[in-house]
Amino acid sequence: MIVTKRKEEKELFSQISNFKSFFLIGCAECASLCGTGDEDALNTLRESLKNIGKVVTGQFVAKTGCQILGTKREAMKFKEEIEQAECILVLSCGAGTQSIGEFIQDKPVIPVNDTLFIGSMRRLREFEERCRACGECFLAITGVCVVTLCPKSMLNGPCGGYRDGKCEVNPKRKCVWIVAFDILEKRGLIDRFYSDVLGPKDWSKGNHPRELYSGSGNSS
Amino acid sequence: MTLKEKLTQGNFVITLEITPPKGPDISPLIEKLKILKEYADAVNFTDNPSAKMRMCSLAACKISNDLGFEAVLQMACRDRNRIAIQSDLLGAHALGIRNLLVMTGDHPIWGDHKEAKPVYDIDSSILIKLVQNLNNGLDINGRSLNGKTEFFFGATVNPNVNPLMPQFKRFEQKLMLGAQFFQTQMIFELEVLERFMNYASKFNAKVIAGIVIIRSKKMLQFLSNNVPGVVVPQWLMEKVEKLEDSDVEKFGLELAGSIILSIIEKKLCQGVHIMAFSKIGEVEDLLSLIKVGA
Repeated sequence: MIVTKRKEEKELFSQISNFKSFFLIGCAECASLCGTGDEDALNTLRESLKNIGKVVTGQFVAKTGCQILGTKREAMKFKEEIEQAECILVLSCGAGTQSIGEFIQDKPVIPVNDTLFIGSMRRLREFEERCRACGECFLAITGVCVVTLCPKSMLNGPCGGYRDGKCEVNPKRKCVWIVAFDILEKRGLIDRFYSDVLGPKDWSKGNHPRELYSGSGNSS
Repeated sequence: MTLKEKLTQGNFVITLEITPPKGPDISPLIEKLKILKEYADAVNFTDNPSAKMRMCSLAACKISNDLGFEAVLQMACRDRNRIAIQSDLLGAHALGIRNLLVMTGDHPIWGDHKEAKPVYDIDSSILIKLVQNLNNGLDINGRSLNGKTEFFFGATVNPNVNPLMPQFKRFEQKLMLGAQFFQTQMIFELEVLERFMNYASKFNAKVIAGIVIIRSKKMLQFLSNNVPGVVVPQWLMEKVEKLEDSDVEKFGLELAGSIILSIIEKKLCQGVHIMAFSKIGEVEDLLSLIKVGA
């Protein structure tokens, strides 16, 4: 899922200091799982805004904030409340905020959250980045994503910086290449892997911005 | 004789490492090089070590070569993509630089520009392939260049790490890809080098052992805590901690000297590399000590 984190109040309030009335839109998908876009998150923000003298004209949690047409249809039901607000606050990811900005163009649409990464959830609201959407998946070879989990995106094994199997950059984490090495070893693939070299990686597959028309299954 | 000729013919070599200046004034560097060139076969210039911004290795190499002190250009993958690396290497070659030591490079998190975007477009294995391609008159994509470079290029290996096998397999891979010599991370114990050489000797690789001169307790702590890849054994930390401050320098010099002399005596590897962090006087003292000992 897309992992989001609510911005610090100081930053958010400085961005909305010129406005008095707000309409809030959450998202029932990833942001709800992160606790940054569900009813509770909306209510908490509404209270904070009231405390600093702001008015909230209305709110709703979109089914899928990043689905442009669906969210537009849902927002139609709140036409009046949206019209009354000077500013729209979106409690979703950056994609959701921009989807909403596409159909509400006459007033500012401002994100309440920062969008962090594609994450796997280990326990409730504990997320780990496992995939950086690079566009060229090597998991079939290495078992764990070395492009994402190695801070240097090493494709051919560890650098010389690991210490007792821990990463040079974050000593709390195991070096992903030590994990990948174990996987390759268990599969009996070490010698085969090291008889060749992986890469150079085609980073152009991750060039921004990307589009996908799933009819063809190809990105461009 | 060049470094390449010496290593190829099986001579024992002594190389030094200097970090280029932080700023535009190169006069202290020139003074240092004039003194040290009498003591060593070649000098490496680091590439923004520990991701701390310095003058580029390429310029320092050119300055050193012009002074008659053969230079080794260090090239890391942290700050340049494959276009910039090839471009800089062709430029270095045009300026007469022939020796390279290639590596992936310490992460910016260690440096003085922590907010910088880490590049790591390629890793050190691919960088070796890239240099091999340049030497064959090809770019990394296999397209023809208007000539062949003549780089003599080495790679790094860290015999201190745990677990060892993933490191050793990368060493093998680098060798297979064409690395012509290896330089180790600094070692403090002969056994660590022996263990590695025991493995490496099967492959007939030319290895230069990294040595550092311990100057003070603070320096040893710094190396242990702030330099990626450095592993200071616990017994050494404790031993140095127990010494009087004034005795640490003498101890450090003797430790480095005894390791080097044992390497020479046991013919463990083909050379030693005195790493940066040392003052000129210390390097002079150490190399004089070795001359007497040998």
